[in-house]
Amino acid sequence: MASNAASRRDEDEVCPVCKSSRYLNPDMRFLINPECYHKMCESCVDRIFSSGPANCPVAGCRKTLRKNRFRKQTFEDIGVEREVDIRRRVMHILNRREEEFDSKRAYDDFLEQREDIIANLVSRIDVAKTEAQLQKYAAENMQSIRTNQAIEAEEASSFQARMTLEQEEARLRRQAVRQEYETERREIQAGREDFLSRLASGSSTDAAAIAREGHKVLLKKSSARRSEEERIRQKQAALRSDTKRVSNLSAVEHAGGADTGLVKGLRKIKTPEPEKPYDPFMGYVPEKRDYYALQSYYPSQYLDPIRNDARMLAGGYDLREYYSRTLLEAFAGLSCFVGEEISQRDANISKSTATEGAAMAVESGENTA
Amino acid sequence: MIEDDIYRASSQYRLWSYTESSLQSLRATTNAVASERVRAALRRSRETHQSTASSTAGTPLPESNTEAKNKDEKDVECLTPEEELVLVRYYCEKTLELGETYKPPIPTMVRATAIQYLRRFYLTNSPMTYHPKSIMACALFVATKTDNYYISLRQFADGIPGDTTTDDVIAPEFLLMQGLRFTFDVRHPFRGLEGGVMELQAIAQGQGQPAPHLPYETAEDLQQGLLSIAPPPVPSSSMSDRIARAHGTTRELLKSAAQMTDAYFLYTPSQIWFSAFLLADRPLAEFLLDVKLGGPVTATIPAPETDENGLVNPLYEIRSKLHHVLTECSTLLQSYTPLSSDPAQMKSLKRIAKKLYHCQNPEKVNLAAQKRESTQPSTAVQSDTGTITSESETERLAKKRKLEQEQIVRQNDDVFGPELVTQRTKQ
Amino acid sequence: MALSPFGSRSPSMTVHSPNTAIRLRATAAQKSFTEPASAAVSKPVQNGDRELTEQLNIDVRERYVKDKKVGEGTYAVVYVGHLRHDPSSLVAIKKIKVNAEYKDGLAMDAVREVKYLQELKHPNVIALHDVFSSKDQNLSLVLEFLPGGDLEMLIKDSDIHYGVADIKAWMGMLARGVWWCHENFILHRDIKPNNLLIASDGEVKLADFGLARSFADPLFNMTHQVITRWYRPPELLYGARQYSGAVDIWSMGMVFAELLLRVPFVAGNTDLDQTSKICEAFGTPTEENWPGVSKLPYYIATDKAHLVPLQGRDFFMRQFPTAGPVGADLLMSMCALDPRKRSTAVQCLRHNWWTIEPRPTKNEDLPRKSGGTKKMGDDLTRRGGELDEGMFKSAARQLDFGMK
Repeated sequence: MASNAASRRDEDEVCPVCKSSRYLNPDMRFLINPECYHKMCESCVDRIFSSGPANCPVAGCRKTLRKNRFRKQTFEDIGVEREVDIRRRVMHILNRREEEFDSKRAYDDFLEQREDIIANLVSRIDVAKTEAQLQKYAAENMQSIRTNQAIEAEEASSFQARMTLEQEEARLRRQAVRQEYETERREIQAGREDFLSRLASGSSTDAAAIAREGHKVLLKKSSARRSEEERIRQKQAALRSDTKRVSNLSAVEHAGGADTGLVKGLRKIKTPEPEKPYDPFMGYVPEKRDYYALQSYYPSQYLDPIRNDARMLAGGYDLREYYSRTLLEAFAGLSCFVGEEISQRDANISKSTATEGAAMAVESGENTA
Repeated sequence: MIEDDIYRASSQYRLWSYTESSLQSLRATTNAVASERVRAALRRSRETHQSTASSTAGTPLPESNTEAKNKDEKDVECLTPEEELVLVRYYCEKTLELGETYKPPIPTMVRATAIQYLRRFYLTNSPMTYHPKSIMACALFVATKTDNYYISLRQFADGIPGDTTTDDVIAPEFLLMQGLRFTFDVRHPFRGLEGGVMELQAIAQGQGQPAPHLPYETAEDLQQGLLSIAPPPVPSSSMSDRIARAHGTTRELLKSAAQMTDAYFLYTPSQIWFSAFLLADRPLAEFLLDVKLGGPVTATIPAPETDENGLVNPLYEIRSKLHHVLTECSTLLQSYTPLSSDPAQMKSLKRIAKKLYHCQNPEKVNLAAQKRESTQPSTAVQSDTGTITSESETERLAKKRKLEQEQIVRQNDDVFGPELVTQRTKQ
Repeated sequence: MALSPFGSRSPSMTVHSPNTAIRLRATAAQKSFTEPASAAVSKPVQNGDRELTEQLNIDVRERYVKDKKVGEGTYAVVYVGHLRHDPSSLVAIKKIKVNAEYKDGLAMDAVREVKYLQELKHPNVIALHDVFSSKDQNLSLVLEFLPGGDLEMLIKDSDIHYGVADIKAWMGMLARGVWWCHENFILHRDIKPNNLLIASDGEVKLADFGLARSFADPLFNMTHQVITRWYRPPELLYGARQYSGAVDIWSMGMVFAELLLRVPFVAGNTDLDQTSKICEAFGTPTEENWPGVSKLPYYIATDKAHLVPLQGRDFFMRQFPTAGPVGADLLMSMCALDPRKRSTAVQCLRHNWWTIEPRPTKNEDLPRKSGGTKKMGDDLTRRGGELDEGMFKSAARQLDFGMK
């Protein structure tokens, strides 16, 4: 039934512009233009738009159309076709990624907002205003739109690459297993032949010993092979983690913009630079001093006996640690002006107390109660 | 300066540094709270006393006696914050002496720690509540534990002249630690002095190194600079002799004046030793400061420059501020004279001790007994709230405490010199 | 000037300075004095209920709420708790038991732990937020909540796989923690995998300062009976009474080796056995490779026939192939028999192993394991110098705290 209906409709189909029907012209193809989505046959498009942009020939529609924008219809329902187009266009512009937002909540809000915009455009509500917003956003966020597009493209291709890699690995594994099976079979064969020939030639040799020996050789070989396999596996793991690192890097590279008028809740600052080299001291500068330069020797009669005390030194006692401590304590806090700093600190605390208000009042209330 | 930030991380800076005014108001608050508690406690003990007196009829007290006592308690005069401070200082001096009685003597650093514990403890506790003589031995014992000079409690108690028990020593430990807000680290100026002296000796021998921010001076420049400073107050044979002499004088100041004044609360350890060093040998101390910060007094260093932003050289700013602070601290250290060597101060101390006898909080007198009580839940008295469950029980305990108190007073008087005995035995 | 990492220590960020608390009270008192007579009569009595010092303690205590017990030992009980005003801010509360057998007041472990943790603030040292006493005169330490378990747990769990990048990350954090202690002239003296606790963000924190002490002063004897045996350096086994930060570096080297091998590297059954195992592994100490060693109290000369030559670089490379040649070199510098030849913490951190490939794993990617809260509870209740297992319980040493 369904196919019947479809074929009948096909046959009945008529170009709204030139009125020629499929019945007369079975090869007829219909095209649409996303400006107005009015359907017309290929020959009409050629005829009307080949010499440049022209108005849509459908009565009442005065949209200016260009030939290069005409394309085949994907969905039968022209409404769906239009919605998909709008969606694609909006998502192309509003292509913020989840990691660019402060919170899951902010990202969800963004997704909802994007759906609203799409719905507005589809159902023709506030079209002018919405379009203006979109244009403004696109102009202001060109950079971020482009980087996000690049990331998407890369993700798509790296997904492809990963699939290929996995297939390749599977193939290699299969091949390795097959090879291993082959070699093992061949070795067993060879070992057996060797064993038989030795048994045959050596009259005085203990048969059991030979058998044991042969078995041992086999074991050794297969364990060597296993460690080789292990090595390969590790290499592959390293390879995988390398590719992971590369993709991480590119993710770090893209920089998010500040809050735009349209999209809210974006993360304020992104770290655009690549990873800094690892600092074992995490930002501290060891042994840096402002008042003195630590020397490796200080004259002191009091310390002289220690310098010669073999037992103390053998235990690891180190006068340099003593120097380091005494010198530090000689100057640590020399320009901490307690009177000044403490009164300032107290003032700051009382200020914050005043602003914190309620919580502190409760606490002090508890104290006196 | 990096070294200063390192000091700022210490608990001494974070919790135990004050301005003069904040120190004063803290002591005033402590004194006010304690006075109030003493009055309330005396009132309670009087009430108990009266009620038990009336209940145990048959042996009424002589009327005149009761009246006199009531009058006495109504007008009980509490110590002022200043008087409390004198008392605490006296026991700080005693701590120093107590440390000396051990064989070998307890190291200076450990004794100094104990003294600072006492001083810190009495910022938020009053001698009217806890008599310093009961806290003092404990402070020294805790200091031996925290400063890596641990002596077993038995050995420690045996070392105290008189018959102080281990319980007497350990009873206030927890209280003391609470008063210290569980910070046991005390930053002393002693080690810093050693460092400064080592630097000076190195410079004197031509092995000195310039300060990181004044890198243009060579070892020879430094040595020449040191040899051309003004002569010392007392002539000495050589520069290293002069440094050693100043070292010794400074050390004595740090052991005494620095411990007995508010220096630790108001200044940093490096400022304290520099101040004491200034008192010992001013030209030497100023030379070292000039080497470190560039000084207004040295000809080799150009006058305070302003950089391109029109800002004063920060080192110069520090140097002039430091000059002011070190002068203040020197004055504070200089103001100290030991109580025991000053008859006028001793006289006032006796007056204060006498006064304290009347305003001692009766509920906190015997810490060892209290500790025993707190570990025996069967005892019907909650000393903290003063809730009374059984009058006769309370009375019995009060009597027991009074006995114990008197006993302790006698014991401790034996221990800590005869000065206070005369007036106590009069009572 | 270098950055100043010294922020507020208390997570509550409110009243911490005694000055503030006191000012609050002072103003309250003032208020009551200026109020009408009736109020003035009642208030001071209430005020007088507590000494100022007790009030300060109560203020601290009231800031926290205990939730549940997560560990109990003979020495301490550990609870998980939180700040009263913020239930999401977790802390560990270690309540130290009053030891009836120990007549000398608060135990030395607790004294040391409190003293040194009050002074140390570093991302790789467990943070002590507050200390307070409870009504029954027990001491409670409010410590950083570290639910990630400890390194021992990860080493022993065969289900957990980790690689050299992970080891590098952990060792880096350990080395920084040790460096910070030494920078503040504090020896830890009990570094071992189960004292290295893991925070929820993967950060490794040095914990248990019950055997710590300050160092560098000459002519003061220190005890040699410190550091759990398997991690104890040869100079302490030989009874040295004056030593340096090098003792902690040895322990660090042993932890490094254990991370690589996943079993303790030199695990002696007795102190003597430990010494001989060290000799077997690293070489016999002699006057040639360690001048003065024969003067140490418990040094026993080995006869020439049993002398093991000092192990060189190739030994470490062979024994620890996973570390790579550069990692093996760092390990070797931590395991020098002669403490003077051992790297200092700064030298360790300046080694180029940290900067070569692979880069240390990021904290969030480090292997982790659940059930860490329980482990933290157990770790924090243990007394310094003890091994976890009952294996050597019979040989439990009496720690000698006398240092005169």
